Amino acid sequence: MDFTSLYEVAWLVPLLPLISFLIVGFFGKRFKDKGGMVAIGLVGAAMVLSLIIAYGALTGNLPSEGYFETSIEWVVLGSGFAFELGIYIDTLTAVMLIVVSFVATLVVIYSIGYMHEEGERRRRYFTEISLFVGVMLGLVLANNFLELFIFWELVGLCSYLLIGFWFERPSAASAAKKAFLVTRIGDVMFMIGLIIVFNLFGSLTYTDVFNEVAMANVDQTWLMWGLFFMFGGAIGKSAQFPLHDWLPDAMEGPTTVSALIHAATMVKAGVYLVARMFPLLVFNGAVNGPNVLIFIACIGGVTAFIAATMALNSPNIKRVLAYSTISQLGYMFLALGTGGYLLSQGEIESGGLGYSAGMFHLMNHAFFKALLFLSAGAVIHLVATEEMRKMGGLRKYMPITSLVMLIGALSIAGIPPFSGFWSKDEILASVFEAGSMNGVFMLLYVLGIATAFMTAFYMFRMWFMTFTGPEGEATKTVAERSSHGHDAHEHKKGRFSEHTPKVMTVPLILLAVLAIFSGMAALFFFGDTFYGVVYFDEPNHETALELLESIFTHALTYLSILVAVAGILLAYFAYYKNKIDVKAIANKPAVKPLYDMLLARYGFTKGYNWIGEKAVYGFSLVLDKFDRFIIDGLINGIGKVCMKTGKGLRKVQTGFVQTYAGVVVGGAVVMMLLMYLLMTVLGVDLSP
Amino acid sequence: MDTTSIPINWFLMLSTALFVVGVAGVLIKKNAIIILMSIELMLNAANINLVAFSVYNNDASGQVMALVSIGLAAAEVALGLAILLNLNKLRDTVNVDDLSILRW
Repeated sequence: MDFTSLYEVAWLVPLLPLISFLIVGFFGKRFKDKGGMVAIGLVGAAMVLSLIIAYGALTGNLPSEGYFETSIEWVVLGSGFAFELGIYIDTLTAVMLIVVSFVATLVVIYSIGYMHEEGERRRRYFTEISLFVGVMLGLVLANNFLELFIFWELVGLCSYLLIGFWFERPSAASAAKKAFLVTRIGDVMFMIGLIIVFNLFGSLTYTDVFNEVAMANVDQTWLMWGLFFMFGGAIGKSAQFPLHDWLPDAMEGPTTVSALIHAATMVKAGVYLVARMFPLLVFNGAVNGPNVLIFIACIGGVTAFIAATMALNSPNIKRVLAYSTISQLGYMFLALGTGGYLLSQGEIESGGLGYSAGMFHLMNHAFFKALLFLSAGAVIHLVATEEMRKMGGLRKYMPITSLVMLIGALSIAGIPPFSGFWSKDEILASVFEAGSMNGVFMLLYVLGIATAFMTAFYMFRMWFMTFTGPEGEATKTVAERSSHGHDAHEHKKGRFSEHTPKVMTVPLILLAVLAIFSGMAALFFFGDTFYGVVYFDEPNHETALELLESIFTHALTYLSILVAVAGILLAYFAYYKNKIDVKAIANKPAVKPLYDMLLARYGFTKGYNWIGEKAVYGFSLVLDKFDRFIIDGLINGIGKVCMKTGKGLRKVQTGFVQTYAGVVVGGAVVMMLLMYLLMTVLGVDLSP
Repeated sequence: MDTTSIPINWFLMLSTALFVVGVAGVLIKKNAIIILMSIELMLNAANINLVAFSVYNNDASGQVMALVSIGLAAAEVALGLAILLNLNKLRDTVNVDDLSILRW
């Protein structure tokens, strides 16, 4: 089958949600459901097209160069140079297309149920979410960094709008501002990086920049700085240490938005960016030393660890998931950095595996994290609180939700055969591989394993606290409602049936299926393994069975499974069997400060607030003084001089007619004299 | 007409003298009526010039101009005197030094 004609119309993929954005935005009020169906239809259409394109790209139907590219000129500069708008499709794009379009469609469908009580505001919601999906798809399909940057900024805008969806709550408004401002730091760095790269290459189009000859011809030190700054953009967008603090606060938005931000759009953009600029990273790493790549790996590893520790004792169900996203994104950066490091050191095979594992984890994470968030959304929808301590015993009221969330938790914990296991294990394996070449990676491997343990623990802590144990106060209100039949549509339901509407459970079940199978499917059903399809430099030609063999004959695999199981067991004994008195441990004098420090997010929130309130505000005060005294002083000074001069000069107006007449006569005389002088100087003959 | 009988300079000297007397009157005299009369003197100095050059150049348009100027002066004096009359009624004075309220 020839896919080229289909690739030609790939620009429709971002366009369809953008059309939905316009339709719902302008005419949403006229629809009975405020545009929900329009959004579903057009985002769904984009998904169908994306999936077909992705299918084509992933089954090897790409042009022989390995990518398909087409573009139109957008801004033509005088020198004949033009900025382009175009599309670029390779296997990386294809994976992102699947992730973004599929998760987004399910989220939009789910939103119909979740946002049902929002009334007129649903129009705004569906407008913004259509824009969000459209620009993210545009970002993925862009064929040059400038186009990517434009969509990148639009993604930031949409996340601002959606996090602040309930803007009348001050916490939501400030969370939206925080998300916008903190990611802005990264965006400015990204822009600086782009300027450097543009100066080096004279172009931002992928095909021009990733050219071996062009890469060899530029100043590698400058290129290193350019890449460093571009990675700064990814740090901000993907909420990596030290710019991670906005993501937990972003939980103020509707849970569907959190799901979208965490699983498909926004934070994945940063990982995508690093994967996209991989040729530059590896080339620069090989020629100039892998500083940037080690930096990426370290940021990833440290973030994974720090975020996981913060999730350990968070009482808020959405916060736990937010920290876990940060942590998992850290894994992805760790994988990309490590893979790049190995590649730049000439280890093509294991390095390529690291890169592929990072993208593999991105895909799997999208499915299980969307699942976890949407399940959490269903819980919050039912009990109207995010405090896990008020929940407990919810399994009776939402058996389906609790089951799918368990699947999600198993997946993220890395228990085989759930999807998270396959990618996380490969990531850790490649980090260990790099550890034999550079001690830093050994340390990162330890962090990674510790993170795996904590991940399993906090996910199951969350699950046990929410669904099992004694019924909390929020659960009791649900029990009351269902037994007394307060709500008309819940009144027929028994005590042990699902309390979540179908429009919400169906997406959950679909995602649960993916959370189980996406890992295995990518390994077995592609015809080739994921590593043979989405790769850098050289495909990994191992068949699925060989891959399986190499995974399960490796001792480290059992280590990572072991720590995951240990984490789950710890959570089981602490929060299900109550064998371990968690509260007593937390209140021990040795542990208490640590416990409080984790709740305070290591003081990062305070630190940022200090920067905002003291440093920036102090600087602003200085600027204010400058404005008031220097600038205003200058302006007022000019005014004052004019006033004074005027005051002095007006004395000329004596009111005496004869003074005026005298001045006129004197003036006439002076003018005549001047005239005479001028004539003399010019040599005009004055004689009759 | 014999244009050589009186040289043109004499006319010019006369008109200049008349003009200077007029200027001096405007600048020095305090009585508004006298100032008005001095202005007439200056006007007439100009008229003398016009007529003199008209004769000198053997061109009648200068004299026409002088006639227009005399007519204008008459109208101007009528206007000026009317203003002064009203001023006198309002302020009971025609001394220009007393009329200096239009100032800073």
